[in-house]
Amino acid sequence: MIDANRLKILTESAKYDVSCSSSGSTRANRKGGIGNASIGGICHSFTPDGRCISLLKLLLSNRCIYNCLYCPNRAEADVPRASATPEEICELVLSFYKRNYIEGLFLSSAVDRSPDHTMELLIDTVIRLRKVYRFNGYIHLKGIPYADKALISRAARYVDRMSYNIELPSEHSLKLLAPQKSKESLLMPIRQLATEKFVFDQEKKGKHSTRFLPAGQTTQMIVGASPESDGQILRLSEAFYRKFSMKRVYYSSYVPVVHHALLPKKCTGLLREHRLYQADWLMRFYGFTADEIAGTSENLPEEYDPKCAWALKNMHLFPVEINSAPLEMLLRVPGIGNLGAYKILKARKFSSLGFEDLTKMRIVLKRAKHFITCNGKFFGSENISTVKTMLALEAHEEKYEQLSMFSTPETSVSALTGQL
Amino acid sequence: MNVYILDGTENMFYSAVFFAYSDADCILSSAKNIQLTLDARIITVEYEEDKCERVKKKIAQYDPKALSDIALILKRGCDTKEMTALQYIRLILKNRAPVRDQLSHPMVIEAMDERDKVTLEAHRFKGFLRFMEGDHGIMYAPFSPDNDILELILPHFLRRLTTQPFIIHDTLRHKAALWNGKECAIAQTDDRISVRFSPDEENFQHLWQEYYCAVNIAQRPHEKQMKGYMPVRYWKFMPEKNPGLR
Repeated sequence: MIDANRLKILTESAKYDVSCSSSGSTRANRKGGIGNASIGGICHSFTPDGRCISLLKLLLSNRCIYNCLYCPNRAEADVPRASATPEEICELVLSFYKRNYIEGLFLSSAVDRSPDHTMELLIDTVIRLRKVYRFNGYIHLKGIPYADKALISRAARYVDRMSYNIELPSEHSLKLLAPQKSKESLLMPIRQLATEKFVFDQEKKGKHSTRFLPAGQTTQMIVGASPESDGQILRLSEAFYRKFSMKRVYYSSYVPVVHHALLPKKCTGLLREHRLYQADWLMRFYGFTADEIAGTSENLPEEYDPKCAWALKNMHLFPVEINSAPLEMLLRVPGIGNLGAYKILKARKFSSLGFEDLTKMRIVLKRAKHFITCNGKFFGSENISTVKTMLALEAHEEKYEQLSMFSTPETSVSALTGQL
Repeated sequence: MNVYILDGTENMFYSAVFFAYSDADCILSSAKNIQLTLDARIITVEYEEDKCERVKKKIAQYDPKALSDIALILKRGCDTKEMTALQYIRLILKNRAPVRDQLSHPMVIEAMDERDKVTLEAHRFKGFLRFMEGDHGIMYAPFSPDNDILELILPHFLRRLTTQPFIIHDTLRHKAALWNGKECAIAQTDDRISVRFSPDEENFQHLWQEYYCAVNIAQRPHEKQMKGYMPVRYWKFMPEKNPGLR
């Protein structure tokens, strides 16, 4: 059985991977088996940093032959090293799972000895879990760049989700900061998996006997370690969503740990990360395109969120009448979220809605009031510069909270990585 | 004013609704310590199958899904749940149609809020419930939820742990679900069940506590968010929040 010390090392090396979601898969339990996946995902605990624990997030080994500049486990770093055997991981997963501590496993690894060797060990663990232990819970497997194509396809038949981190938003930056990884080594497997999944799903339509990455792929990139603009980053994400049906792109703002001439000395700050996530949501759930949100060389504004910024540039489209505007337009009103828009759509079928009705329905009007009318009545400010000031003031409060949440002075020392 | 005293079961509730529906100024309650006004006339409701079925049939005629809404509302752990459900029923019968989409109507807002509190807590406990391994390999999970959600979370664990015998114990309502790998039963219990734990239990709780500490990023404290998602009242049975529990 794995001991507490190794568990600690392997967890601490894995914890900077942002993804912990267990959603998107409907894998059912089989006769004589244990576990299943829940389509919406389930959080099993929350840590004092406010993040959820859904999956047991572990590295199989943190011994690495690569030397990516931003990574705490790079070959030259002087950190405690450890590894676990596939058998030890399986035992831990099963014991935690039946106590309902976790929803499944998030397994990753540093590149130990060679990419193929590491990938084989990861696959061995996963297959052992599925076949020997008949475990049907959620498994998220990290792909190892440069591993053999056949190994990758094999893994995809046993896990729910796979992810390759593209690490940096451009080929140039990747060459500079992670010289041993190439753009192709990261994009090839992503493309391969997307194509194979498409073909597999076409052929297997309606049959649930075998599955191929039911919860799709995700990826992660570091923001601020290299000079790319937000506009560029969002276009890259948009391409991932469109071309590879990526489920999610995670962003992590850069924190300097290693001093190197090629790396910036300053933290990127979490506000930029926050704005990127807001823009990402606009693309995925609100029908925005990257072009509408930011120009190619533009960064997102700090003063207010990207939807406000878009609305202020397009004031000729506002105000919209709550009782008649189509869904696409409701979704574009600053301050009205996805849930809010659907609520309005339902409620207005029965009676026309006034401002007080919106308040009762818990729709936040602080921002929205400048962009809507209810039964022709307008309660916002007509003067666009006043609106801008008010929105910026409000975002300032939000920004202040954001920063105090995360950027304590020690962050840079201890966070040890740009992956935050 | 008529006060209908109920025992908290669905059947009793519907039997009472038969009379209370048209009794504009009445109170329906299963609360143990109900405050009575001077003009209160207490009516002890009895289960009458035909009346109960007639009420259900009538509601289902206008909104087939309403019965499940009401079943959820009645699982709330608050004293006003019967009144919320009654007013929701009155609204459906008055409209002769489903009302759940009338999201700006105060009664609908209240009913849906109450229903959502129950489903939210049931969803949360799919994650927060903690099993401990007993001496003979039976998993035991005590919990004390705000609402009566044992029956709501049970199917989830039955699907998951098909071959694993387990007990889920609602310590507040003194009832437990028992699963032996073949059959499932719900039984009344004492306040406490004494369980002997397997020799491995302590070790795994320790590993879990170790994991919980290691995966946290201590330099980014955000307790408010943690407590928002995982309220302190649920911590009682979670080993990661009680290093001394084992």
